[in-house]
Amino acid sequence: MAQGSSCWGCFQSLIDIHLNLATVLPLIDIKYWQCVADFKLKDLEGYPDKSITVGLYEGMARTEEDIHLLKLMRAKCKILISFGSCSCFGGIPGLANFSTLEECLEVKFRNNKTVKDGEVPTENLPKIAPVVVPNSTIVDFEIYLPGCPPTSKLILTALTALLTGKEIELPPHTVCHYCNRERKETPITEILRPFEGIADPDRCLLEQGYICVGSATWGLCEGQCVNHGATCRGCFGPPPPITTDQGAAAISMFGSMAPLEPEVLTEKVLDPLGTFWRFTYPTSHLGGIRIKREEVKTK
Amino acid sequence: MTTVEKKEVQAKKEWEPQIVAFCCNWCSYAGADLAGTSRIQYPPNARIIRVNCTGRISPEFILASLEMGADGVLVSGCHPGDCHYSSGNLKLRARLTIMKMAIEQAGINPDRIRLQWASASEAQIFADGVTTIVEQVRALGPLRREWK
Repeated sequence: MAQGSSCWGCFQSLIDIHLNLATVLPLIDIKYWQCVADFKLKDLEGYPDKSITVGLYEGMARTEEDIHLLKLMRAKCKILISFGSCSCFGGIPGLANFSTLEECLEVKFRNNKTVKDGEVPTENLPKIAPVVVPNSTIVDFEIYLPGCPPTSKLILTALTALLTGKEIELPPHTVCHYCNRERKETPITEILRPFEGIADPDRCLLEQGYICVGSATWGLCEGQCVNHGATCRGCFGPPPPITTDQGAAAISMFGSMAPLEPEVLTEKVLDPLGTFWRFTYPTSHLGGIRIKREEVKTK
Repeated sequence: MTTVEKKEVQAKKEWEPQIVAFCCNWCSYAGADLAGTSRIQYPPNARIIRVNCTGRISPEFILASLEMGADGVLVSGCHPGDCHYSSGNLKLRARLTIMKMAIEQAGINPDRIRLQWASASEAQIFADGVTTIVEQVRALGPLRREWK
């Protein structure tokens, strides 16, 4: 199990399978897991190729070390799982593609509001890639398990299936399939920000005017957010085949339900790229154009 | 278009804007047909794709065309209120508005996308629309030049 640039949330979710760990752990032999077992990178480098049965890669690969680790995992593992939305689609760290690397360094280090005379650290640090590229363009994965994080139930299903040698069977439905709210097929009359008004707990959030991308999102979460009153932000990415453009599908749905005047839309939808492509920007069409632009620059 | 302008177009052999034009079956495609039969002159850069209704156009189509090398996209449909399917063009207008904003955020000039309404009898409006987008995109240069 390896971690690239990410928040460790996916592995946290793995640990959250709680008592089931007692059944899973005796069946596995951990070969490498930076935060849990004391193996170093050189241990992983020392293993023979394809000697590890299952590998999980969490996070995207932004630094040279991440890219090395990802390639190393591919070489050592028979089955490599792209674990979590960052690894599958670029996820939240993929939003860094909104800005250039210089702009990121400027905000984070040089002009950080909480630091005086900030400078970019250079010692003992791996180089940062100029742009976030999807992991799937660096190596091939056997399995994609999206989610931010993948739910504990999903992880348990996947791990049990792998341990028993069965196929992982995942339902292909979107979040709407699991949503208990009622749709009355009425068009949106007014777009609301999440903090505006009081939402009817029994009606479709999108119909009420709250931007919910559940219709374009794979419902492996079983509609947790929408059933608890929050709009879907799309963290599980597009439904299978997961290569489609989630944001485009979400806008398509949103446009069908809100045939409003352009002025109203521009006033109320403030950050369309961050709203509809929050988790899948690097793998989307627009993200592809962004990456190509950066590639041309570095050539 | 005058003959002088025409020569200018022919002189630039290196790069010509490539425009993907989505036309709805009921108005603009017929309008484009009429533009042809009425011998109206307009630039040949637009590759017309017929869709049953502009409401059928998913943002995916437009974004995919841009990613695959189109320099601009023209969407031409029925006038608001005239849609054969009552409101397909209004849905497209909403999608396109949001998409233009997203495209701008992603660093692409939104002038590369144009939405126009042209009915089956408005061949001249269709031809003018094509000329406008071609000129707009020509002024912006190839999409790939922005990458440099």
